[in-house]
Amino acid sequence: MSYLRAVMAANDHSPRVLALTAEIIDMNPAHYTVWGYRFRTLMSLDTAGQLGTDAVAWTWSRELDWVQSIARNHEKNYQIWHHRQLIVDHLADSTGERARTEEMFALDSKNYHVWTYRQWLVRRFALFDEEELALTTKMLGEDIRNNSAWNHRFFVVFGALPDGQKPAEEVVEREIEFAKKAIQLTPQNPSPWSYIKAVLRKGNVGLATLQSFCEQFSPVSSPDDIKSSHALDVLSEIYDEAGDAAKAEKALELLASKFDPVRKNYWRYRRRQLGSNSPVVSATA
Amino acid sequence: MATAVAFTNKPEELFVDKHVKYIQTLDTRKDELEYWLTEHLRLSGVYWGLTALHLLGHPGALPRDETIKFVQSCQHENGGFGAHPSHDAHLLYTLSAIQILAMVDALDAVDTEACVSYVRGLQKPSGVFAGDEWGEEDTRFVYTAIQTLKILGRLDAIDVGRAVEYVLGCQNYDGGFGLVPGAESHSGQIFTCLGVLSMTDSMDRLTPASKDQLAGWLAQRQLPNGGLNGRPEKLEDVCYSWWVMSSLAMLGKLHWIDRNKLVGFILSCQDEVRGGLADRKGDAVDVFHTVFGIAGLCLVGWGGLKEVDPVYCMPVETTKRLFGAK
Repeated sequence: MSYLRAVMAANDHSPRVLALTAEIIDMNPAHYTVWGYRFRTLMSLDTAGQLGTDAVAWTWSRELDWVQSIARNHEKNYQIWHHRQLIVDHLADSTGERARTEEMFALDSKNYHVWTYRQWLVRRFALFDEEELALTTKMLGEDIRNNSAWNHRFFVVFGALPDGQKPAEEVVEREIEFAKKAIQLTPQNPSPWSYIKAVLRKGNVGLATLQSFCEQFSPVSSPDDIKSSHALDVLSEIYDEAGDAAKAEKALELLASKFDPVRKNYWRYRRRQLGSNSPVVSATA
Repeated sequence: MATAVAFTNKPEELFVDKHVKYIQTLDTRKDELEYWLTEHLRLSGVYWGLTALHLLGHPGALPRDETIKFVQSCQHENGGFGAHPSHDAHLLYTLSAIQILAMVDALDAVDTEACVSYVRGLQKPSGVFAGDEWGEEDTRFVYTAIQTLKILGRLDAIDVGRAVEYVLGCQNYDGGFGLVPGAESHSGQIFTCLGVLSMTDSMDRLTPASKDQLAGWLAQRQLPNGGLNGRPEKLEDVCYSWWVMSSLAMLGKLHWIDRNKLVGFILSCQDEVRGGLADRKGDAVDVFHTVFGIAGLCLVGWGGLKEVDPVYCMPVETTKRLFGAK
């Protein structure tokens, strides 16, 4: 490290810096100073036309391979992904990058840094397409509780819509059905419930359209048959909107006393809010 | 690194003296590899340790003069601070430096004008801040930039309005906030975003309904074992005792989680022999989880601890001195 300090002080961007920084990063990839210096060196060699020549066998492509190998061994590190982003942005070429992130998802399907990088890729290269949607379908097929994949799906489906523009009706319909299928499989999974409510808001579809769907999981009149606290939560809103205070209160009381007592203060707050005509969520999201 | 840990079987006790001793000896472990592998975050390590000591009621347990000297040695010519004298300046360590000096009441020990200019230089046209000249741009750095300037009384040096707009653009369909626009809601990012809104008097930019949705999401982070997670369907971790609870405190909804269950979980993560807290029972302790576990206990009013400010993660004694009584 003290050797690197000397190199940096001399503003040396010669090929030997690549070997030196690689050695330090291998030991400790959280070393933010070293990543920055390595990137500047690569850029300097590139500008001088030296990358991939006899003098410097190293190329951007080898750099990306090497970065991936470091990422595989240090899944929690985020400097790696920023370095990768700087390079891919500079190259203006996303070839192979989806496959690389998917290789990382195979190790940890909820890796926050990798998902953030993937979203950057989608935005940078306008990849709001069928392939991207198919990734989320596949990953949710493997783990329907993966909230990161749900979040990404929302991003892919609605992220390219200009502000204020309504999504196509068939897209809204398709996503409602997708979430309903997930809820059928895992009624107590919070992610598709958040998702379906958000899709309804995006499509300007009333929550009340979910009433019979929710009642099949959580019939308020028959507490022994209740399978989903989330369905009760949604039903309390639907009943409240419809002016059925007694049923709304019953749903929230069941949550406070029986189905989610750890949050009883929250549910009792919701009960006190009934009839206030303020939707639980405004239509901003 | 993987030292055997003796986890407590007496989850009703906080081992204050053990924790003080653990933090005091952190800097004497220079023969351990881990000490050198954490050099890139040393200044934050000092902030975490010092904050924990203040909250435990032992503010003088680290030598004040040496602490100030170390902070001074980390300032660069550009005004920012590195994690260690041999590391480049970075916003994360710049905030740690300023927080440390605020806690020991020695802000005049460094060149604060240079620091203001360093922070200002990292704001981007979108309002976001970069962590350093080459680094990532996200809500963590909006928070660190704004707290640094707030302590120095120089929020006028940046475009606060754009920073707030950037943060608001990170709110998701489930009510939470992510690292950048579109990124998944995460309790740590919710803390930084609510912190920015609080420090800039912009909490009213969230509607009452949106605040309720967010607080409800945060309350959902509590698991049956009492611990809190950072995202749906993830494991509990002591550090979320801070990120989730401080956020709930900023929303005035601390009572939406089960206090006793959370206290039991935090206390079960103590190493009762060496001191310190781990992310969860059975793992090795570190100073990061130690401070956030203790700060979480402060928020739920555990007896004998000092009051913590949920926005700044510093003792209320310090923020009162800086900003006056609220």
